[in-house]
Amino acid sequence: MSRVAEATRPAARAVPSARAFRLREWLEREAVFSWLMLAPPLLFLLLFLGYPFCYGVYLSFVRRPVAQPATFVGLNNFLNLYNDAIFWQAVWNTFRFTAAATVLKLVGGLGMALVMHQNFRLKGMTRALLLLPFIVPTVLSTVAWQWIFDPGMGLFNRLLMFLDLVKQGPSWLGNPTLAMVSVILVNTWRGLPFFGITILAGLQTIPDELMESATIDGAGWWGRFRYVTLPLLMPVIFIVTTFSIIFTFFDFQLVYVLTGGGPANATHLMATYAYSVGMSSGQMGMGSAAALAMVPVLGVVLLAMSSYVRRR
Amino acid sequence: MARNHGSDGSTSRRDFLKLGAVGAAGATVGAGWRPRKAEAKPEKITFLRESSYVKEFDEHFNKVLIPRYQQETGIKVVYEIVAAGGSAVPRTVSIVESKAPVDAAWVQQEWLYREGLLDVSDIAKDVGKQQGGWYSEIEGLSVWEGKWKSVPFGNIGQCMVYRKDWFDQVGATTFPDTWEEFLEVGIKLKKAGHPYGMSMGHGYADNNSWLLPLLWGFGAQVVAKDGKTVTLDSAETARAVDYVRKLYKDACLDDCIGWLDPHNNKAFLTSQISATNNAMSILISAKRDLPDMGKVIDHALNPKGPKGRFHSFVPVTHGIFAHTPDPAAAKHFLRWLMDPKQVAAWYRSAQMYHAPFLHAYDKDEEWNKEPRFKPYQKVLETGKLVSWPAAADRRFGEVVNKWIVIDMFAKACTGTPTKTVIAEAVTGLKQIFG
Repeated sequence: MSRVAEATRPAARAVPSARAFRLREWLEREAVFSWLMLAPPLLFLLLFLGYPFCYGVYLSFVRRPVAQPATFVGLNNFLNLYNDAIFWQAVWNTFRFTAAATVLKLVGGLGMALVMHQNFRLKGMTRALLLLPFIVPTVLSTVAWQWIFDPGMGLFNRLLMFLDLVKQGPSWLGNPTLAMVSVILVNTWRGLPFFGITILAGLQTIPDELMESATIDGAGWWGRFRYVTLPLLMPVIFIVTTFSIIFTFFDFQLVYVLTGGGPANATHLMATYAYSVGMSSGQMGMGSAAALAMVPVLGVVLLAMSSYVRRR
Repeated sequence: MARNHGSDGSTSRRDFLKLGAVGAAGATVGAGWRPRKAEAKPEKITFLRESSYVKEFDEHFNKVLIPRYQQETGIKVVYEIVAAGGSAVPRTVSIVESKAPVDAAWVQQEWLYREGLLDVSDIAKDVGKQQGGWYSEIEGLSVWEGKWKSVPFGNIGQCMVYRKDWFDQVGATTFPDTWEEFLEVGIKLKKAGHPYGMSMGHGYADNNSWLLPLLWGFGAQVVAKDGKTVTLDSAETARAVDYVRKLYKDACLDDCIGWLDPHNNKAFLTSQISATNNAMSILISAKRDLPDMGKVIDHALNPKGPKGRFHSFVPVTHGIFAHTPDPAAAKHFLRWLMDPKQVAAWYRSAQMYHAPFLHAYDKDEEWNKEPRFKPYQKVLETGKLVSWPAAADRRFGEVVNKWIVIDMFAKACTGTPTKTVIAEAVTGLKQIFG
């Protein structure tokens, strides 16, 4: 008995170690290891993005007033939106807002990065200060902007009157056109540092030798910018613009706090409209349909982004 | 001593497994939400309200009522405050949807989620009987299908707030009695550099509180009493729209067309406007921070139109969420809160900012302390729900939150023809009312 036990002992010991070895070997296989590493973020995405998204898709096909059971209505919510003049105004506003703000941020951010790339006194502090709009919570900075836009006491109108440009300042948030200009301006102010700092990071990766050889070849500042800087910055500019389009298209806080979508829906965006229908009016189905209507745009942007990345 | 374990006194493997399972279940339940047994006393009641523009009101609740309730019952009250200015309704909607651990609340726009509220008829009827009876108009909001779904509290009255000194300067020694007179005086005031500031933006109170009464005063209604027939397209509506366009152009500050609820307070307190429609918070702030201005502010009822004088309610009602784990405890709290021993002092703490819907307070001594607040009590006599003459139901939530009526006026002020703005509003209304 004891002999038998003794004889089997080494084998028994060998079994777990062989198993452990096989497990380690299995874990070290690239396909297994990569999935293991991917699992936590995937689970996170499924739970916090996948589930709400799928629930939103479900809600868009039902009539679902708050605190009441859902009734399947097919495409009725989308048809109602199609016939809703306010929704179309919000769509038009969203496109105008996104296009104008993105172009302004791109041009301004590029300029900001080029200036920040130069050597001057207090460069570090200036860079830190330029980040402020991005750091300050949007709600807080938007309240400050309300004061800046105030017709009687606001900075803008006081400045205009001080410079003798006008006798009485305009109504920035009361005039439908100026209200849209104002929200675009605040969005640009807030988003500029994101462009500036990211493009600056791209600028710093351009080797000085390239600039020197371009200079030796006789290129002036415009030539260096046009044929060296800009082509090398294109990947960064593309990525930062794509992200900005997404953020701007879905902007909510700024408009909600500054104008509430008014006056007369002049600044209502798709996000603020979806919120007012879904949350404030308690029409969860209709609100989800309005929110979901933004997804195709996001899809196009993502497709453009992925095809660009693949090409490079 | 009886043992529940193994016969030899040790814990058997089966007992161990049972204990382990019970322990694990206990730990799981203990770590998260658990339903309270009805017979057990809850540890706390969570009560949600929008923050008050009169800070003494919230202070009184925190410093007097919470300690008193805890002392009397041993139950802690958690007072959850939501920022004023439109975020309370989405917060309440999300509480109902997610069954978040909140027991009772100021149920703003309760017509959106009445199914998610408990029947509190017993409390409302007793409180009414005990304190002089309810103003009947508020029953159109709190009573639904024969049951009280909320206990009315008070109306955040909306009146005309004006600078008496500037009105005197243009010869208006008493506040204009009709909308036409209001326009005439406004033209003079604007010429003198003191325009009106009548909110027409995407707020929730200061816009509805004068535009709806004006519409009703001109004889127009949004929807008929049946709550189905859209009646906005009328000659009376057209006259009201034309009037507002003229008032805006000739008597108002341009900016007011885009104002949210806090904007007119700010404009008034910075002397940019001579009159607006607001709660009593402007005078309260002025008396506290700008005493000189505080002396020259006065209040008046809304002017009357060809069909009479109207006001619209900004009602405050308290309800209990149907998902509360302990309905009896929540009801006990609400009943205690509405007892005269508590509620009278709470009303007075804010100088009757919430004009009580209970007749017992019609002649309360507090109204005499600042006679300029008296119009806010009178509002209760001519006040209507925003859905008037229809009952307040969830469809009106959409009308209010899509600003359909407000934008009809605002668009007219930006130059859109009267016929077009009415037609657009009617299309929006028909989408909602079918």
